[in-house]
Amino acid sequence: MSVLQKHGSLVSQKTDLPVLKAVKTRPMDDLGLSRWISRMPLWVIFAFSAVILLWPGLASAQTAYSLEKVWGILLKWMPLLVFKGFVLNIVISFFTMLIGTVAGVFLGLGQVSQVYPVRIMSWIIVQVFRNSPWLVLLFIVMLSFPFEISFGGTHFTVPGWFKAVIGLALPVMANIAEIVRGAIRSVPTGQWEAAESLAFSRSQIMWQIILPQCIKRMIPPWMNWYAIMTMATPLVSLLGVSELVTLSRQAMEAEGNNPSLLVPFYGFALVIFFAYCYPIARLTLLLEKRFTIKL
Amino acid sequence: MKPLLKLFTTTAVATATTLSALASSYAASCTNDSWNKIQDRGKLVVGIKEDTKPWGFIDTDGNLVGMEADMAQEVADMLGVELELVGVQSSNRMQLLEQGYIDLMIATMSDRDDRRKIVGAVLPNYYTSGTNILAPKALGFKDWSELEGKTVCGKQGTFYNKIIEERYGATVVAFTGNAEAKQALRNKRCVAWVFDDSSIAADLASGEYEDFEMPLQTEDDNPWALAVPIGERDCIFGRFMAGMQYEWLRTGHLLELEKKWGIQESAFLVKQKDRFKDWLED
Repeated sequence: MSVLQKHGSLVSQKTDLPVLKAVKTRPMDDLGLSRWISRMPLWVIFAFSAVILLWPGLASAQTAYSLEKVWGILLKWMPLLVFKGFVLNIVISFFTMLIGTVAGVFLGLGQVSQVYPVRIMSWIIVQVFRNSPWLVLLFIVMLSFPFEISFGGTHFTVPGWFKAVIGLALPVMANIAEIVRGAIRSVPTGQWEAAESLAFSRSQIMWQIILPQCIKRMIPPWMNWYAIMTMATPLVSLLGVSELVTLSRQAMEAEGNNPSLLVPFYGFALVIFFAYCYPIARLTLLLEKRFTIKL
Repeated sequence: MKPLLKLFTTTAVATATTLSALASSYAASCTNDSWNKIQDRGKLVVGIKEDTKPWGFIDTDGNLVGMEADMAQEVADMLGVELELVGVQSSNRMQLLEQGYIDLMIATMSDRDDRRKIVGAVLPNYYTSGTNILAPKALGFKDWSELEGKTVCGKQGTFYNKIIEERYGATVVAFTGNAEAKQALRNKRCVAWVFDDSSIAADLASGEYEDFEMPLQTEDDNPWALAVPIGERDCIFGRFMAGMQYEWLRTGHLLELEKKWGIQESAFLVKQKDRFKDWLED
């Protein structure tokens, strides 16, 4: 940069000749979602809620549903939607992240392995699962996994939501693996050389010197992926898992499927997801700022 | 005379052999897996609809309720086991039964020839419905043929989607759930919602569809069947469910359930009550 500036001052006279300007590249932002959400001022959430609250009133020209009636209905269903629906979304997101992270760390280490077959296999797995549509992975897992395991005469039922966890964990695993690989690569090679010169073995270097330095770098993108995946959990409603969106739909059906209910019910789902992901996004950016390494 | 007699004897022997072969294979082929599993774990898992009011839908506690939920409860009570209800959709109900995820399916399923090859539909049929449409009054449909070239909303997994397309030249857009399909109708993505007439009648009776009507002559009246795994249709489980249904129809219990859930009294159930009447009863 400084060199370019020096050059810039040297050739600052006007010229007719085409000049190749310094190429400006913005580094790939792996925190796009968190940045976008956390830039929203907090009043957005209140504005959302207000629109949803008043919607039946605004749209009541053609329906007989009053504001109080719609709100009465939504309030009646709220405990079910939150404590059975949204809680399941959170449970799914926790387990997905747990399985995805554990598998992703090993896959990420596999990608920097010195053993060629391990490296190439890890690379293939990561590419396949990073680039497959989530819904397709979900369908494959949901429809091909057994729902019941017999073990010594006792039957264990594998619930639908747990199959959804596995389906969602696959793409998350691949993306976590990329985060791990990137973090390992981002540690200056001097660290490796210095450690080697002190006679550490490769696995000692990895586990005692490199990975501890990586954790701080990995946390912000890892949390970003958590937010992305949490917001993707309603996908499993297409497979009949009783999470927030499925229950909203069934509740509307039980209430006669009046169109005045649509915006309040889906809007409620929107608000509750936003309310959950907003603090996570803010925290992600805060941590990113704190962990940024000043060179 | 003699050759004829011989022929007769041979035929008799052959028939007897066939019959005994049938009988033995019949007994041997009954593993009663589901039946035994239900007893072992003390729990009956029944698949019912979760978005088809008033047969199967959810209450504010998230429990599945409805007429078919009540029927499932009675089956479990009779067996003396716990009941677990699982929500199913038209598109996956047969697979779930086939895979053994549910033991019994009571999910507004029309009894069709091709379905009997996949699941063990148990007779006598407990209910019936025909095909009709829910359409805005403003469109003023009078005849099925008016649907030609129009877009109609349907439900995935129903048998009449194809019939409507082939017989009347309508385009069916099929949704996974009733709610989405009816919403699409309200959003004018289609001119009508094609579904069971009994379900449409229930919707109209709910007062939420004042600008809509069920204008056409009901077609393809088709009995509903509950189903057990196909291997157990002619075994203990199937026979047991046949008995349950026979009692439901004979005593008119399903008519009571219809009343409880606010469904119009169906002529089919009245007829079946009369048909299965105890001849000694006065």
